[in-house]
Amino acid sequence: MFAAVTSSTLLATMGSLIVVEAHVGQGIPAFTVVGLPDEGCRESRDRVRAAMLSSDLAWPTKRVTINLAGSGERRGGAGLDLAIAVGLLVATGVLSQEAVEGKAFVAELGLDGSLRPTPGMAPLVSAVGDHEVVVAATAVGEASLARVPRLRPVHTLKQLVEVLRAEEAWPHVAVPEPQVVMDEIADMADVRGQEMARLSLEVAAAGFHHVLLMGPPGAGKSMLARRLPGLLPRLTDEQAFRVAMARSAAGMPMSAVVTSSAPYRAPHHTVSMIGMVGGGSSHLRPGELTLASDGVLFLDEMGEFAPTVLDALRQPLEEGVVRLSRANGSVTMPARCLLVAATNPCPCGVSSPLACTCTPIAKQRYLRRFSGPLLDRFDLRVELQRPSTTELTSKSKSECSAAIAERVQRVHEMCMARQGCVNSSLSADALEEVAPLEDDALNVLRVRLDEGRLTGRGYHRVRRVARTLADLHCSEGPIGSEWVHLALSMRATLQTGHGEMR
Amino acid sequence: MTSSQYPQWSYAAALASLPLLTHRRLRWLIDAGAPSDIWQQIRGGHRFLNGIDDAVWRAWSAVDDSLLVTVAERCIDKKIEVLMRSSPSYPASLIGDPEAPAVLFVRGNTDIFRHRRVGIIGTRAATARGKHFAHTLGAQLSTTGVAVVSGLARGIDVESHLGVLSARGETSVPPIAVVASGLDVVYPREHSRIWEEVATRGVLVSEAPPGMHPEPFRFPMRNRIIAALSEVLVVVESRSTGGSMSTVREAMKRDVAVMAVPGSPGLRQSEGTNDLLRDGCAPVTCVEDVLLALDLDHRHAQQWCDTREVLAPEELAFLQVVGRGPHSMEEIAVLTANNVVATAVFLGRLEAKGWVANTDGWWEALMA
Repeated sequence: MFAAVTSSTLLATMGSLIVVEAHVGQGIPAFTVVGLPDEGCRESRDRVRAAMLSSDLAWPTKRVTINLAGSGERRGGAGLDLAIAVGLLVATGVLSQEAVEGKAFVAELGLDGSLRPTPGMAPLVSAVGDHEVVVAATAVGEASLARVPRLRPVHTLKQLVEVLRAEEAWPHVAVPEPQVVMDEIADMADVRGQEMARLSLEVAAAGFHHVLLMGPPGAGKSMLARRLPGLLPRLTDEQAFRVAMARSAAGMPMSAVVTSSAPYRAPHHTVSMIGMVGGGSSHLRPGELTLASDGVLFLDEMGEFAPTVLDALRQPLEEGVVRLSRANGSVTMPARCLLVAATNPCPCGVSSPLACTCTPIAKQRYLRRFSGPLLDRFDLRVELQRPSTTELTSKSKSECSAAIAERVQRVHEMCMARQGCVNSSLSADALEEVAPLEDDALNVLRVRLDEGRLTGRGYHRVRRVARTLADLHCSEGPIGSEWVHLALSMRATLQTGHGEMR
Repeated sequence: MTSSQYPQWSYAAALASLPLLTHRRLRWLIDAGAPSDIWQQIRGGHRFLNGIDDAVWRAWSAVDDSLLVTVAERCIDKKIEVLMRSSPSYPASLIGDPEAPAVLFVRGNTDIFRHRRVGIIGTRAATARGKHFAHTLGAQLSTTGVAVVSGLARGIDVESHLGVLSARGETSVPPIAVVASGLDVVYPREHSRIWEEVATRGVLVSEAPPGMHPEPFRFPMRNRIIAALSEVLVVVESRSTGGSMSTVREAMKRDVAVMAVPGSPGLRQSEGTNDLLRDGCAPVTCVEDVLLALDLDHRHAQQWCDTREVLAPEELAFLQVVGRGPHSMEEIAVLTANNVVATAVFLGRLEAKGWVANTDGWWEALMA
C-alpha cells in the first residue's frame, strides 16, 4: 500500500536527494502528486501510466498519492519518472520494498517503457552516490561523470522489474571510466602582429586580470579572446569534473570524456539576465557565468549587451560566486571566470589614424553605456589596431600558446606560494607587502595621480598588473618603473564625461 | 525726449535681447537714437524704421520692461559690461567694420584690445600634434606681447588659450576669447574652468546677451568677430569644410592676413590648411613667421622656453624615429627595431615627460 523510493532532483548545479513516497489506497481512482511538484513533474503521470501499460504492468484503479519528500524547494524534473513508477509497483505489491532498499532511480520514462536520459544526469547521480543508482543505459556516459561506485544502467522498465524481482541479473552494459583529455584550442601562433594585445592576454592569464579589448572591427579581438583558454593553466581533475557537472546541469550533451582545458563561453549580446547569471522559474539553471567558471567569459561588442545584464556581472566577478535568492530559497553557483570584453573605441569604428568622425560627445556617450564600476573591474584596457600588411603576410610564426602557457603556469605557482592567491585578488595591504614600488616607479604614478589621469582605484589596479608583469619577466623584489610604464600603457584612459576619467 | 529711468547701457542690452533680431537690425535700432528712446518707441508700438517686417514689429512690441530688468540684473550679477560703439573701451578694430556688432558684452580687462592681436583657430577634432602646436604658439605669442584671439571651442581653440594662460611671464598678454553663447552660459561645459580664468585674467567677448544658448547660427556670427578682431589669423588645423573656413572667409573679406600651418597630406585635419597654402596663404611653422607678419621684432620671441624635461640622446633618437605621423605601438616597435615591451616602456617615459601623446592607441611625437 505504501512505498518509499530514493531519487534526486536538480537545484542549480547541484543534485539533491529526495524520497518519492507512493500510496495506493481505497477511493475514487485518481492520481495526485504533492510536495511542491513543478509543471514537468505533473506530466509524469501520463508518461508513467503509458510506460507501465506498454511494459505489461497493471495500472492501479485506486486512489494514488505521490509525495515528493525533501527540503522546501519546488522540485521536479522528468528524472523522477522512474522513481514514481517503481514506487507505484512497490505500493501495488508487484515489487517488494526490500528490493528497492539502497537503490536510487534517476531516469525519464518513454511511452514505450524505455528509460531515457534527463538533463543534469551527472549532478543528479552524484547526489545519490552512496546508493546503487539505476539510470538509463543511454545516459551511462554522462552518469559516469559522477564517479559513483555502483551504477546500474538499464534499458527498459520491464527489464528493471525483472531484475528487481530477482528473475534476471543486471544487464551487461559497460560503464565507461570517466577520462580527462586535452582539447584542441586554436593556437596563439596564428595571430599575426598584435604584440601588445598578445602580451596583455598573457598578463591576463597569469594574474587573472579581466581584459577590455578596444579596437576597430577586424583588429582580431575575437580571434585573440578565443585563444585565451589555451594560455590558462590546465584544469585539475577536480576542476574538470566541476566544469562537467555544471555543463550537465545546464543540459548540455555530455559523454564520459571531459576536457581539461579551461572553458570558453561567448554568449551573444542578446543574452538575458537569467541566461547570464542563472536562475529560472521552475528549477534554477546555471547561467553563462557559471558555465565559464574556471575559464573565460568573452563578451563581444560589450556595448550591445543590455546594461542591466552587464551590471549584474559586477558582484559575481568580485566574489567569484553567483548568489541567487528566490522566495523559497537561495543557491550559490561558482562564477570564478576571467572576463574578456571587446568593444569598438567609438561609434564609427574607423581604424585608420585620426580619421574617426565621432565628436568627443558621441564618444563619451558610447563609453557611458558601460557603467563606471564595471569599467573599473577591468585591470587591462588595451587598444588594438588592425595589423599592417607586413604583419599579416609575414612568414614568421608568432610564439605558440604552449610556450606562453608555460610562463603563465610558472607565475601561477609562484603567486600561490607567495601570497596564496592570484595577483588580481591582492588586497591593497597585501600590495604593499608583495609589490612594493621603487622610488622612480612611485614617482611615475604620483605624477599621473596629481594630473588626474589616474584614479585611486586605477592606482591599485596598475600596481597589480605591474606585479604580474614583473613576475612574468622573473623580476623579484620591488617593482621597477619599466613595469609601471608597461602596466600604464595597458590601461587606456577612458573619458566617460566632461573631466571624468576612468 | 523723456528722461530715462535706467542707465543707457541697460537699454542697449535690452535691445540686443529682442526677439527676431539680426546684427543689422540691431545696428539700425542703435543708430536711430539713444537706446532709451528707441526702447520707449518700440514699447509704444511705433514703427519708426523702414525695411522691417510687420511680424518683427509685432514681436518687438510684445516685450515689456521685465526683459530690460532681467537682462540688466544678469549683467550686473555676472559683472558683464555692455559696450556700444560709442563706448571708450569698445575694441577700436571693430568700430570701422561694416558688420560690427552694435552692442558687445564683455567680461574682463578691456585694455587687452589695445595689444597686437593674432587669431588662432582650428578644428575641434584636432590631432595631438595640432593641439600641441596651438598650445606652444599661444604661449610664445603671449610671451612676445601679442594677444591671442580665439573662440574657446574644443580642440585647437581651447589649446591655444591654455597655452596663453600657461605663459606667466611679466610681459605675457592674457587671451581674448570670443564666444557664441551668452557670457553666463558656458559652452562646451567642460571648459568652465578656463572660461572663468579667461574672464579673470583676459577678456571674454560675446555678441549674445546673457542667458543666450549657443544656437548654431551664432557660431558664424562669432567667427566674424574673431576675424575682425585679429590682425593676423592663423589656422592650425581644419578640414576643408570646417567651421574655421568660415572665419577664414570673414578674414579675407576684411583683408586680414590669413596664415596656415602645413600638415601631412592625406590627414583630414590638414585638408583645409593645405588648401589655404595652395591658394597662396603664408605658412606658419614657428612663432617667428607670425611675428614677421605683424612686423614685430621677432628676436624677443625666444623668451618662451620649452619647460619639458630634456631628453637623453637615445630618447631623442627614438622620438625622431617615431616621427610625427600617428603610429600604433606595434609599428613603432618595428620602426625602432625594439621589442614591444621596450617600446611601451620608452613611450611611457616619453609620455610622462610630455614628448608624445596617445589618442585611441595612436601615438604622435610632440615636437614644436
